[in-house]
Amino acid sequence: MKPPPFDYYAPASAAEALELLGRYGADARLLAGGQSLVPLLNFRLSAPAVIIDLNRATDLAYIKEETGRVRLGAMTRQRAIEFSPLVKSRLPLLAEATRWVGHLPTRTRGTVGGSLAHSDPAAEYPAVATALDAELVVRGPAGERVVPAAEFFLGLMTTALQPGEMLVEVRLPALASNSGWAFEEFSRRHGDFAIVGIAAMVTTERDRCRSARLAACGAGPVAVRLRGAEEILEQGGLGDLNINAAAARAAELVDPSADLHASVEYRRHLVHVLTRRALKRALERARGGGAAPLRS
Amino acid sequence: MATGDGKLVGARMRRVEDRRFLTGRGTYVADYLPARTLHAAFLRAEHAHAKILAIDAAAARASAGVVAVVTGAEMAPLARAMVAASTMPGYKVTPIPALAAGIVRYVGEALAAVVAESRYLAEDALERIGVEYEPLEAVTDASAALAADAPLVHEEAGSNLLVTREFACGSFDPPPPADLVIKERFRFHRHAAIAIEPRGCLAEYNPGSGELTLHSSTQCPGLVRSALALHLDLPEHLVRVVAADVGGGFGAKSSTYPEEVAVAALARMLERPVRWVSDRREDLLTTSQGWDEIIDAELRVNHDGTIVALSADVIGDIGAYSVYPWTAVIEPIQVVSFMPGPYRVPNYRARARAVATNKAPTGPYRGVGRPPAAFAMEGLIDRAARRLGIDPVELRMRNFVRAEEFPYKTATGIVWDRAGFIECMKKTCEALDYPAARAEQERMRAAGRLIGIGFGSYAELTGIGSATPAAPGMRVPAGTEAATIRVDPSGTVSAIFGVASHGQGLETALGQVVADELEVPLEDVRVRFGDTAFTPYGTGSYASRGAVLGGGAAILAGRVIRDKTRRIAAHLLETEPAALEAGGGELWVRGGAGRRIKLRDIAQAAYAGAKRLPRGMEPGLEATVFYDPYYGTATPATHAVMLEVDRETCAVRILRYVVADDCGRVINPLIVDGQIEGGVAQGVGGALLEEIRYDEAGQLLTGSLMDYLVPGAPELPNVETHHLEAESQVTLGGFRGAGESGTIGAPAAIANGIADALAPLGLEPAELPLTPERIFQLCARSGVYRLATGLA
Repeated sequence: MKPPPFDYYAPASAAEALELLGRYGADARLLAGGQSLVPLLNFRLSAPAVIIDLNRATDLAYIKEETGRVRLGAMTRQRAIEFSPLVKSRLPLLAEATRWVGHLPTRTRGTVGGSLAHSDPAAEYPAVATALDAELVVRGPAGERVVPAAEFFLGLMTTALQPGEMLVEVRLPALASNSGWAFEEFSRRHGDFAIVGIAAMVTTERDRCRSARLAACGAGPVAVRLRGAEEILEQGGLGDLNINAAAARAAELVDPSADLHASVEYRRHLVHVLTRRALKRALERARGGGAAPLRS
Repeated sequence: MATGDGKLVGARMRRVEDRRFLTGRGTYVADYLPARTLHAAFLRAEHAHAKILAIDAAAARASAGVVAVVTGAEMAPLARAMVAASTMPGYKVTPIPALAAGIVRYVGEALAAVVAESRYLAEDALERIGVEYEPLEAVTDASAALAADAPLVHEEAGSNLLVTREFACGSFDPPPPADLVIKERFRFHRHAAIAIEPRGCLAEYNPGSGELTLHSSTQCPGLVRSALALHLDLPEHLVRVVAADVGGGFGAKSSTYPEEVAVAALARMLERPVRWVSDRREDLLTTSQGWDEIIDAELRVNHDGTIVALSADVIGDIGAYSVYPWTAVIEPIQVVSFMPGPYRVPNYRARARAVATNKAPTGPYRGVGRPPAAFAMEGLIDRAARRLGIDPVELRMRNFVRAEEFPYKTATGIVWDRAGFIECMKKTCEALDYPAARAEQERMRAAGRLIGIGFGSYAELTGIGSATPAAPGMRVPAGTEAATIRVDPSGTVSAIFGVASHGQGLETALGQVVADELEVPLEDVRVRFGDTAFTPYGTGSYASRGAVLGGGAAILAGRVIRDKTRRIAAHLLETEPAALEAGGGELWVRGGAGRRIKLRDIAQAAYAGAKRLPRGMEPGLEATVFYDPYYGTATPATHAVMLEVDRETCAVRILRYVVADDCGRVINPLIVDGQIEGGVAQGVGGALLEEIRYDEAGQLLTGSLMDYLVPGAPELPNVETHHLEAESQVTLGGFRGAGESGTIGAPAAIANGIADALAPLGLEPAELPLTPERIFQLCARSGVYRLATGLA
């Protein structure tokens, strides 16, 4: 478990990194927190000629609030997100999801950009980005472009990033009023990849559901938005029966595959269970129930 | 720190080795790096069963930094294949080559070695070796391997059935009449021991002296030394094996491995130090695994709960080789040997078959045979209790061997000395507040929750001596251990043992025994082991023997030293030995004010010789004494768990965990608690998480710790432990072994707890681990869920 040889660069800024990326193109891999890439290298499943280490590009690590949204630099550590008061108040769904990302030592290294760009089907951040219609800011030889989450995650560990392009920022909408959120996850052990995770956000208007946002991870090749379930809530409201109906619909909308830990049927079952749990907790919060206790 | 009577044995003392371990000053194999060391990496088989037609190593030999590439064919003249011999009738041998030549028998088997200036360069070169395989049909299921037309793992053996052992006690023709017959097929899957330090070794060969030294992460330096001498054709006195600090073993480091032989052969060939430290991938592929049994069992009981008869038919999947030196006999046969457990079973019939397959070998793993045995037996008892409407505790109490029946000879010939079988159950129930726990369960059940209470009772034979082979039929001499105690000229003490520690705290525990015997403070005692150059011969630490055999030897050697010390002191103080009292490294004349002498002055006299010693006394203050406990002793325990199955996610959460054991006189409660908790952790892993899985072609699916799941702190309960301390009457010091105890009870208790939780749904699982997926499938098949729509 030693990596094959590679050339190593440690640029001090995003601009330098982009220049290196332009020079080496498909021969290069970007190293962010290294929580996925380093094991791949050590197992010799990935053998890039060049590693461009972004850990010294400090201009890529920030959390900034703008009107109605929060911008996170791609190299912002998961731990910085976990402990950010701004994230806690403005992006509470991301804060809650972060608790499920690996373990504290891995979150100290792991970054938001690394997780999004890796697009692991079981990872929490792509689900949050998908649920909240995040904007992903991509920089490349042709300049900068903004890709909506719905167009960024294309498939199993595949994104809309083109050769020579780099994810530099993610923009997430700040919490609206009368809204509640919840991230529910089931994993074999604390800190493991999700068997299934559900990101939920509901906004109420008196007794009605003004908007519902639901996304699942671990239930398909890529994080999936559960629009059909959202519609049930937006049309029929947030009563128990309707929440059940939406959860049942969610289980039909996913396309999970089986692995060592869970069968297709079990994953579908968990999508149902966790969607219901997530919606109930989100609704409680939207109604001002405060911080409903997390189940773990 | 000491106990009330000033003794150290029995005191809850912090471990002296922990300062070293916790500050990163341990010396593990990877910490030792002599000058000019070369690094080995092994090319490992990609196929579970294949002929090796050709190996092209030219490109690898030309690769940067490579010193040598050695194939199996090239290794064969340098190292003999290891043959684990057995006296068991009909046993078939399976020679283990240092490097596979001609054929590979499991994925991960080493077939070539690269030796290079660094591990990185060695791994680069591995990728440049071309192997032409002719894949053969692999057999990965033990039942299938028994078929007449099954592919043979070892052609020369003529069969995949390596050994069969049958027991019969009482009459089964016809089976004894009973009111109720319980039948079940239990499945206990394959586990990995996952020592935190993976296997590794470093060999040095001195062509000047002809001495070979192997530093190895092993539990059994004495056995490895004998094995290297035999298989490398070296006289044993020119082989030295060093196991300085070892980061866990759990039985999986008690066998001698082909890599140890290969690395030693490479160092001898190249006349340079050669190091190999396995990575976690290699560890999961090649370190001997545990269990993997199918147990078809039948229990016959009467209406009053009395056990009438038990029968068991066990198929053990032992993988591709019979491990050296324990053989493939050890694991499956221990299952049937210990299946009757702590109960009176008047009629017992059993058969165990060890079957070869194209998977990594299984070998000893903490508990050896007994975790699956207890899982099956305790599962049968709970099934009987449910059918008969008798409380499971009461049913056990009616069948435990009673106090007046000790020593009790079981149907398989094991002799239980007097131990607290019944008392462990009583203590567990008392600690759990059993009636209150049942009432709580009823309340929670009424609220719709799936709550279960499960018990696991068992008895283990520990500290076995020469009357009982460590592995049935094994030819290696075991059953004895020695201690050398040497009082240094300054009065400090070196105590040297053949048993070796791999994290159990033996440095402290044996130090406490020695300090008490010599009546000196613990800080004056240095316990040493793990180097055959200075230790007496011993086979190492396994089978819960370290405290019993090491402690017994320490007492014997300590008595010799204490006796001599007193005689010298009496001579110097001009009194009789009987008039002396001792403590704190000093002796004094009882009632004789001021007449005292320090151990240091006694040692000075001892080494000064005849001038200061009693007439005729041999100079020196050192003794080596061997100890053989002959039969060994019983260590019983009862584990109890209260747990919840989440009826939606199918996850299991442990609410309470209680253990009461009888490990005899406890040397250090802190260490024994740690042993029990660590064992329970491995048992919880086996019950809920851990399972080595192969696909049908024999490819390992659980090749990393992302797929092979071991419990971490969040997955583990607080373990409440209680020690009964019924001193063994048959071992020196009254010690009973405790090393394996925790692992044996946990799978049984947890399986029973889950079955109890699921009883309202009519489910009775018989396969471990009970993963959420398995519980889901049980529920789904029974119609608890309407699939894809959640709960019914």
